[in-house]
Amino acid sequence: MSEIPESLHYTEEHEYVKPVEDGVVSIGITDYAQGELGDIVYVDLPAVGSSFIRMDVFGTIEAVKAVSELFSPVAGEVVEINEALEGDPGIVNRDPFGEGWMIKLQLRNQDELRQLLSAADYAQHIGE
Amino acid sequence: MSRQDWRLIIQPDGRPGAENMALDHSLLRAAREGVSFLRLYRWNPPCLSFGRNEPALTRYDTKAIERLGLSTVRRPTGGRAVWHEAEVTYAVAGPSDLFGSLREAYIRIHEVLAAALRALGMEPELAARTSGRALGPGSGACFAAPVGGEVVVRGRKLVGSAQVREGGAFLQHGSILLDDGQNVVAEVTRGTGAAPQATSISAVLGRSVAFEEVADAVASEARRVWDGAWQRSELEPRPGEVELFEDPEWTWRR
Repeated sequence: MSEIPESLHYTEEHEYVKPVEDGVVSIGITDYAQGELGDIVYVDLPAVGSSFIRMDVFGTIEAVKAVSELFSPVAGEVVEINEALEGDPGIVNRDPFGEGWMIKLQLRNQDELRQLLSAADYAQHIGE
Repeated sequence: MSRQDWRLIIQPDGRPGAENMALDHSLLRAAREGVSFLRLYRWNPPCLSFGRNEPALTRYDTKAIERLGLSTVRRPTGGRAVWHEAEVTYAVAGPSDLFGSLREAYIRIHEVLAAALRALGMEPELAARTSGRALGPGSGACFAAPVGGEVVVRGRKLVGSAQVREGGAFLQHGSILLDDGQNVVAEVTRGTGAAPQATSISAVLGRSVAFEEVADAVASEARRVWDGAWQRSELEPRPGEVELFEDPEWTWRR
């Protein structure tokens, strides 16, 4: 069983959204996703100041010789990226919901969070 | 379910690295429309390809590459450096849901390649998932170590593959080694890289095998296993794609 923290929001593409402070969320991939991908060797993140709308590709992730896209679950502007992933992308495997976060977004529309999956919905989506 | 449309492209005349990568990337773009592709091809001149995210500038001796006059290209797919000379290169592209997750696709494609190699008289296996951890893009040659699901003969890698998923489609391509030659990667690697753990068809069979023989075996096994409407086809790279892969800014981006 993979870890699915109750208080977060999720997407069918296996990203999570974690409110961190007023109007700002951190985004990463779920424990299930990191387990499926295997050892993560590279995470390509956008520049601070980039803007995305929901389901825009915000970066790519490489694991076991495969490169996949990362989708922005919500619209917003990047206010911080996790620079630690450049030197040690394996943090995503070890602590996906904590130290392995990828970007922080200033939300454009708080209501978009309500369109995301709950922990229970996500557990059902991945068959757990 | 409607029958999958498959296009078979066999190109025995080698092409430069940028053109080959432009063609594979064009397959990935075309696969978004729902068609699947199997392309079998070779390289002329021989070429050193880097993985999409490999730190090539620090990992490899750029002066040695220049001195030896090696042609270079950076792939759109992940993984590590490969020397493309005596090989049959394959590319499979299709809609993302064709073979499921990236690991499932990896296995299903390698099963077809292994069956084709069996038809040629070899006894290949797929490496167990636990046989090795993925080595990062900072860790040297593609053929230095097998990871789970790869085609091996007596524990040595015979096929090296890499994948990319983009816009609802996937591309997996890789090298089926006809002959030795991966030591070129070690020669241009800074420091002491892992020694190649590769083997080749000629080493296993004890005879040299032509591109056509392997390409035909792979194509006929693919047509047998991947049911659908198959057509022989040709494809030109999409406009701008060759320039993209020729651009030193891309090849030497890190």
